[in-house]
Amino acid sequence: MIALSRVSKSFDGGRSFAVHDVSLEIADGETLVLLGSSGCGKTTTLKMINRLVEPTEGTIEVDGRNVLQCDPIELRRSMGYVFQGIGLFPHMTVEANVAIVPRLLGWSAEKKQRRVAELLDVVGLEPSEYGPRLPEQLSGGQQQRVGVARALAADPDYLLMDEPFGALDALTRDTLQEELLSLKSRLGKSIVFVTHDIFEALTLGDRVAVMHGGKLQQMGTPDEVVGNPKTPFVRELFAKPAKQLAAFRDVL
Amino acid sequence: MDDSWISFVYERLPELGLRTVQHVMLTGVSTGLAILVGVPLGVVATRVGWTRGAVIGAVGILQTVPSLAMLTLLLVLMQKIGAVPAITALTLYALLPIVRNTITGLDGVPAELTEAARGIGMSRWQQLRLVRFPLALPVIIAGIRTAAVIGVGIATLSAFIGAGGLGQFINRGLALADTRLIVLGAVPSAMLALVVDFALAALHWAIDPRRKAGRSRRLTAVARATAIALPVLVFGAAGMAYSRVQADVTIGSKNFTEQILLGEMMAMMIEKHTDLNVDRRFCLGGTMICHDALARGEIDLYAEYTGTALTAILGQEVLADPDEALQVVRGAYRRRYDAEWLDPFGFNNTYAITVRKGDAQRNGWSKISDLQPQAATLRAGFTGEFVERPDGYPGLVETYGFRFGDVRDLDPAIMYTAVAEREVDVICAFATDGRIIAYDLVPLADDRHAFPPYYAAPVVRRETLQSHPKVREALTALAGQLDDATMQRLNYEVDENHRRPRDVAREFLMSTKLLPAE
Repeated sequence: MIALSRVSKSFDGGRSFAVHDVSLEIADGETLVLLGSSGCGKTTTLKMINRLVEPTEGTIEVDGRNVLQCDPIELRRSMGYVFQGIGLFPHMTVEANVAIVPRLLGWSAEKKQRRVAELLDVVGLEPSEYGPRLPEQLSGGQQQRVGVARALAADPDYLLMDEPFGALDALTRDTLQEELLSLKSRLGKSIVFVTHDIFEALTLGDRVAVMHGGKLQQMGTPDEVVGNPKTPFVRELFAKPAKQLAAFRDVL
Repeated sequence: MDDSWISFVYERLPELGLRTVQHVMLTGVSTGLAILVGVPLGVVATRVGWTRGAVIGAVGILQTVPSLAMLTLLLVLMQKIGAVPAITALTLYALLPIVRNTITGLDGVPAELTEAARGIGMSRWQQLRLVRFPLALPVIIAGIRTAAVIGVGIATLSAFIGAGGLGQFINRGLALADTRLIVLGAVPSAMLALVVDFALAALHWAIDPRRKAGRSRRLTAVARATAIALPVLVFGAAGMAYSRVQADVTIGSKNFTEQILLGEMMAMMIEKHTDLNVDRRFCLGGTMICHDALARGEIDLYAEYTGTALTAILGQEVLADPDEALQVVRGAYRRRYDAEWLDPFGFNNTYAITVRKGDAQRNGWSKISDLQPQAATLRAGFTGEFVERPDGYPGLVETYGFRFGDVRDLDPAIMYTAVAEREVDVICAFATDGRIIAYDLVPLADDRHAFPPYYAAPVVRRETLQSHPKVREALTALAGQLDDATMQRLNYEVDENHRRPRDVAREFLMSTKLLPAE
């Protein structure tokens, strides 16, 4: 479980806050989507979980331990990290990319090989064909699949995903969203997913946390936030989908 | 013409080989050191904010120091001639391209890759080793290539301070005004630069990770092995080139013909009459480099002139009487430098203000004072040393009370052609220079005695004479054996007939029975 308690972040010594007094919990096995437009603080919040950014105030606990008291390197190795820039290492093969965290953890060559093949399968890439390739030989969608495989390689309990499909075309995005959806239940991991895409949020999230101006507006299941908006911002955000949902219900 | 070229090169093949090996060593060791120092420095500069400006600034300033100045500066600071100051200078020059490219290369790694590396849990060192450095490598290697190629070029100057290398041929060629020697040094240097550049490009190709992925493991292993073998080879060359048989006696010389001839004569006398090994370190920069080298024990002996020692080295007033000059100089050297002036060779190679014969006849010039009325319209071509030394142009101006209209610095080797071809009107020839006759020139009498006598003699470290007493005997045999006319003739043989100094020296020594006939 991940617990954020009154977390704030200021990059300018307190004059302004990118994240302001946010408290939320992510239960084991749950997918929480942080939804909001650019600059609302959702990415910053995510990055505080694996200590890429450190909170100015408040505490963050992963499995009951304060992240500031953990070794940041080990913390990050225990969490999968996928982000919009994909960031596959261009000088390493797909295999080597996927195996990077196991390598850092000192796994045997055999164990690494098996795991790589397993994961490439899971993300839908034929291991013998794609394994030896270099990232530049893959399409954007294929690269991000490798990115996900890399994040899963050491079998972490948590997966942090920061707008992972943002740089991909709409068709590829749809395909990957669906695959992630079906993968979710198989994986059984806790996922924190950041996006500005409303539909992506509603599709993938067990719960959705809407953020704006650094503050948490509302958190709840897709039904709850759409049907029962608690703040004007949330209402506005889901106005269109809500209308469509209502209209759809009427038809039915 | 072709024939003589081929035989010219063929005769010098062994030395060409030696000089090339020395050159490779100078460049290789200095580039290697620059990599060892520069790459970490570049890494630190990207990591520790404030050091970036300081490092780039410092390394950039080093680059602006003219190479020749750097070499001689290090000579003075390090109190050594030879490979050590040369390699130090070359290393300093290689730093800028390497440091700067390391910084640029690391800066050029896309931000998302560093983010990925950090996000998945790599420590800073792992980020550097596994991601940032391998991606920066192409740019870093480009910097190393630049440094190496520049290094090959600057290494040619090392000969100036006695470090050998292909520059030795260039240096000698300049001293003897022999284009063939210059070409013999310049062309191999240029070829070496191309080879080095190509070799490093091949190395880069070999370790390029992108190509590595599609290549057999064996080829990669071979490439890696070569990359390691290369520096080993260079250091091996280092050992070879500089582990000459430890010489018993090191003889230096300045860089003009007469000095090389005297050096050869002294070397041959020692080699033939004793069982000592002689190391010839000829064509060292000028008077001060030779003197400092002698004082510090870098060389054991060389031929110096009484007048030069008196005024330029000891800083005293001109003495007209040759015996008195020798006495004073002898005493001072014993006290100050622990060195002995042996008996002079016999000739007086004084500075001679020299003009074209035609001009002398037309204007009725026979002594220096005769020049006064027209001095302002005359153009003079003097050596740099002459212009700076107190016993040179300044002394002339003080004694005769006039200046020349236009004074230029000329290399001693081209002075003669310059006056013959009317580019200058007056030069500071050396009295025993054969080219005075060859170019139809007339030396003017020094009626007011501006120039001290310049009797040449072997100057030897007392330590050397004590360890090897036979050296004194061997060299004293040369005393009084060379008069002005003879020295002039021998110089002429080398300068005009382009014979090798060693051959001319040997021939002379055998003809006077100083050396046994072979």
